[in-house]
Amino acid sequence: MLKQRLIEALGADAVKTEAEDLAVYAFDAYSQGVVPAAVVLPASTREVAAAVKIAKDCDEPIIPRGAGTGLCGGAIPARGGVVFSFARMNRVLEVDVRNRRAHVQPGLINLDLSKHVAAAGLFYAPDPSSQKVSTIGGNIGTNAGGPHCLSYGTTVNHILELEIVDENGDVMTTSLDDIGYDLTGVLVGSEGTLAIVTSAWVRLLRQPETVRVWLAAFDDVNAASAAVTGIIGAGIIPTALEMMDHVMLPAIEAAFHAGYPTDAAAVLLIESAGFEDEMNLHETQMRRIMKENGATTWRAAKSEAERDALWAGRKGALGATGRIAPNYYIQDVVVPRTKLPQALQAVGEACGSRGIIAGNVFHAGDGNLHPLLMYDRGDSKQVAAVIEAGNEILEAAVDLGGTISGEHGIGYEKRDTLTRIFSTDDLATMSRVREVFDPKRVLNPEKIFPAGVGCAEVK
Amino acid sequence: MTVDELRETLARCDRDGLKVSIEGGKTLAGMGPALPRADISLITTGLSAILAHEYHDLTCSAQSGIRVAALNAALGKHGQFIPIDVPQRKKATIGGSLAAGWPGPRRHFYGRARDFVIGSQVALADGTLANSGGMVVKNVSGYDMSKLYIGSFGTLAVFTHLNFKTLPVPKKRRALIAPLPEATRPRAIAQIASLAVTPAAAFCVEGFGKNIDGADDIDGRVLLYFEGTEELLERATLDARSALGKAGVPETTIVDTGAAESFDRTLDACIANKRGRSITYRLFGPPGTAEERAERLRDACNRHELFTDVLLDVMNGDVFVRASERDARRFADKIEPCHLELRELEPRCAIVASDAAVRAPFEPWGAVPPAIDKMRAMKARFDPHGTLNPGRFIGGI
Repeated sequence: MLKQRLIEALGADAVKTEAEDLAVYAFDAYSQGVVPAAVVLPASTREVAAAVKIAKDCDEPIIPRGAGTGLCGGAIPARGGVVFSFARMNRVLEVDVRNRRAHVQPGLINLDLSKHVAAAGLFYAPDPSSQKVSTIGGNIGTNAGGPHCLSYGTTVNHILELEIVDENGDVMTTSLDDIGYDLTGVLVGSEGTLAIVTSAWVRLLRQPETVRVWLAAFDDVNAASAAVTGIIGAGIIPTALEMMDHVMLPAIEAAFHAGYPTDAAAVLLIESAGFEDEMNLHETQMRRIMKENGATTWRAAKSEAERDALWAGRKGALGATGRIAPNYYIQDVVVPRTKLPQALQAVGEACGSRGIIAGNVFHAGDGNLHPLLMYDRGDSKQVAAVIEAGNEILEAAVDLGGTISGEHGIGYEKRDTLTRIFSTDDLATMSRVREVFDPKRVLNPEKIFPAGVGCAEVK
Repeated sequence: MTVDELRETLARCDRDGLKVSIEGGKTLAGMGPALPRADISLITTGLSAILAHEYHDLTCSAQSGIRVAALNAALGKHGQFIPIDVPQRKKATIGGSLAAGWPGPRRHFYGRARDFVIGSQVALADGTLANSGGMVVKNVSGYDMSKLYIGSFGTLAVFTHLNFKTLPVPKKRRALIAPLPEATRPRAIAQIASLAVTPAAAFCVEGFGKNIDGADDIDGRVLLYFEGTEELLERATLDARSALGKAGVPETTIVDTGAAESFDRTLDACIANKRGRSITYRLFGPPGTAEERAERLRDACNRHELFTDVLLDVMNGDVFVRASERDARRFADKIEPCHLELRELEPRCAIVASDAAVRAPFEPWGAVPPAIDKMRAMKARFDPHGTLNPGRFIGGI
């Protein structure tokens, strides 16, 4: 019944129901869910709306999915249902150069947008490390960040208007220019639990006149953390301020030949963008701060190729973990920036006490840590130890005044830990929004809110 | 009033069916419908403490009733600020400013005020205190509820405190002011929009002389407002003078001392009200269409023989048009047909300043947005008894 109705509405080539086709949609980049009943690949908003109505009629949950690069189970079918893939809604619909904005479909790959508008001297700022494959729609779902959100802000700062399909299959738009509640602001980061985004007007920025990238190396990771505090505390907000530690540096260098020192305890990768005079000023100030904090190396990328190589290493870091262990588990926590030394110490203790190798590659300027816990999935003891260590890191971040996710989202994996930072009253208030948009929990069920409790029952 | 007193008051009113109006500095009281007084006025200005300023982390937390200028003065002791651009910032509270969702002319430069809110606590209509976000600068843990409350005009909840990320105070500020004859306006706007050094704010102003310059005989002018390092501002000045020169703007005056005050006065002009004889409309839209929209509204006012002051935010596209008369009675006669025509031309133009009696006959918010049903459902879910600012917001929510 479901299959037939979907095929009638969308065409046979847009509906997948064979077991071998469906299996891959049970996963995201980390988690495994349930094999869905069907996968649809709508080509238009009208088809999305039609498929939503059919899925709802058939009592099937609806799971919107971008490129499946999420790391916390946000796009997995937790209890089956119909997965909506936006692979066929991947176009730039309009570029409005005068007003520096673009109208895009949700399946558009993040980096493709910046490539598309580069000739006009513009770019799209949110740049998650997955930007070569992750989609704008997925980025909207998780309010994706990336290294450059330190100064440019996360996805929500760049979304001007959304077209959405709600749980009834009704189509509407929300815009920052509308007078009324800022539904756009709430929809971004709601992980597909409130509505399905079918198009977005996004803000574009003008390419900066000058971009400079520097590398600073340290013999001590705490000294590198102190240098981060020194930069931010001095009122300098670089466009990106990233840290990599001694575990990751040799692996990344071997994989990407980025030009990183392999004998340093930690490296900071710093980017500033703007005008030549400002960059000179920033460089002078930052070099002084680095020196005061014991940097052993301070060098600037001398060419665009060198700059790109330094970034390629950072953005490809996760892929380099294969040189250390067969598998990795990445945690995503945030602490106040001045608490980085304590947070890194907590990571070391949580992993060291369990014999786990941990690498760190993260957005230091935001206080957003991404500890990479290396393990072998075939060893159940290691798997258990990694899960324990991951939870301990999360607890430590909360104890330091931080939070449980900075950019990956809550999804399926972290939903039970949401009670660690929010009271039942806080969660019940959030659930009111869910009740307005999706009272029957049709959209991406079992996500964000704690398990075993319907949103209405959180309180 | 303490937070506990606030929540208890709300809970009691909600239980007893009393209607509550939420008041901060009352600087934006000219927005929204002119309604009869609520049963209870809840004044938040007693909640004025700065709860934390983690200046090494560039974050702070402050109660909702603190004045915008007072908060920024305190942050300024450590060389930081939050770019909340609202009129009358010495009087406006942060809670009221954010609840009113005033977007501000520096938003293209720094981001919207909402983007600086990293967490908040609100009191719901039933007195429940609810938190969201936190004290870290990046956070995707749960729904970002602050976004929902910001711009909700106090109809969903009452802010008790807000957490912000802060910015370093710019080293220097500079205003460039020049006369702007009507014929040069479109070329000047085009030149400003493509300046290499982006101004923190840029306005084309017709009228508002008394409000901005202290004299009524000022014709059109352009005000560019830059923030940054000394070196950057020198370059910006050269570029801007050259660009405006190409557009036919005759001369540019540099204002360093008092630049911030010029900016503040321009912001204040957005809601400057001539008692009993003016209405100011605001219309959002893309910057590229601002001149066209301003012209439509200006021409309509002129057709009804009303005086017209226009303030155009070049970088963001906001248009403010004040229609006025010298005499209150003549204004009353002319404004009704003018209002109807403005709404026909631009259904989304909203009244942002006027006396209550003047705007009483009119629907102040303009056309409802496409997602109004969701907004109504949200109001019903958050405030089922209609306790908080009932009927104050768009569509009667």
